[in-house]
Amino acid sequence: MGNVERCDKTLPVNEMIYYVRRDAVLRERWNRDLEGLARQFGLSREEYEAVRDKDVRRLNDMGVHQYYIPQILRLFYGAAANSNSHPALEAYKRAYPEEAAAAERAQERLARGKG
Amino acid sequence: MARIVSAMALTHSPGLTGWFDRAPEGQRREARRALDAMRERLQAARPDVIVLFSNDHLLNWPINNTPEYTVGIGPEHVGPADWYDEWLALAKYRIPGHPGLARYLVNEGARRRLAFAYLRDMQFDDGVSVPMHYLNPDGAIPLVPVTMNCTVPPIPTPERAYQVGTTLREMLLAYPGPERVAVLATGGLSHEPGGPRYFSVDEEFDRWFLDLLRQGDHATLVRECTLERMEAAGSGGTAELLAWILTLAFTSGPAEVLAYMPAIAWRSGTGMVVWPGVQN
Repeated sequence: MGNVERCDKTLPVNEMIYYVRRDAVLRERWNRDLEGLARQFGLSREEYEAVRDKDVRRLNDMGVHQYYIPQILRLFYGAAANSNSHPALEAYKRAYPEEAAAAERAQERLARGKG
Repeated sequence: MARIVSAMALTHSPGLTGWFDRAPEGQRREARRALDAMRERLQAARPDVIVLFSNDHLLNWPINNTPEYTVGIGPEHVGPADWYDEWLALAKYRIPGHPGLARYLVNEGARRRLAFAYLRDMQFDDGVSVPMHYLNPDGAIPLVPVTMNCTVPPIPTPERAYQVGTTLREMLLAYPGPERVAVLATGGLSHEPGGPRYFSVDEEFDRWFLDLLRQGDHATLVRECTLERMEAAGSGGTAELLAWILTLAFTSGPAEVLAYMPAIAWRSGTGMVVWPGVQN
């Protein structure tokens, strides 16, 4: 099965993102007191640091649900105009350079040809 | 008794509203054309209600409890959820619900041994908001949203989705009302939201899947389009096609593919499909 099977459903950070996304007060606190928020939701030091560092690969490897990883980045960078050149997505290109380069080549072929 | 008057499926990728202009002109033109055609055909079918099937992107339920299906039973649906409106670049919308039909699905489902969770106040992400923006822009057609778990393991199998679709068709046809029902699947095609292949689209898989829909042989599609095959084409996202496979159970004969775009800019294989034949 695919990457989504890496998900650790019991990881506290996977619970935290659900509540933060739904609550404007928690979203505001994300940027002001991330460490306190992480403590409140029971994140380990390792989870907190991976979130703080916006470390896409580490988050994925430790079992954060893959759908939540770009959501974590959007909490830092904002959500508007979330195209492939958005700062939130540059973190992906750094984490998975080979996959990102392959997609970029495919996009260029499309633009040149039938796109 | 209720009747099925329309069956359609389309991609709900947030890029279709949030950063539409980032795709090449050819893809934008193709998407606009297909979406306009779908809206016109939906309106021409004169449905009294849309029953919509879409992945819940971990929005309505926390990860410790993700029901396989959830029915929105409220009298009115308001979206997008606050977290999504900036991302989708959409203003708030309101669409009337159909509590009578929605509550019937929950209770009749239980009698038929299908567990449908329900919410009176459902939140809406791209799965409902993007299709409603293009197909039901004035909110004139009442909506019964049914969200599915297509992304939290264990992800249900295509066989299961088709079986639930078959039971849902029987349930809707037994509904004691004259409603004309449009069935709408949203999600897919290949994509891997948030995974290592976030920027990739599997065009070969997408065209293979759409060809299977064109052939209209349900047994072959359900047998060959395994969960493993969908995961290989894009993990955690491609399985949104379970909504399409569920909707397949409402149809007969070949699907008409209105458009397909391997839209890397929208981070999803993007397709629009209608089934001219439905089962009543």
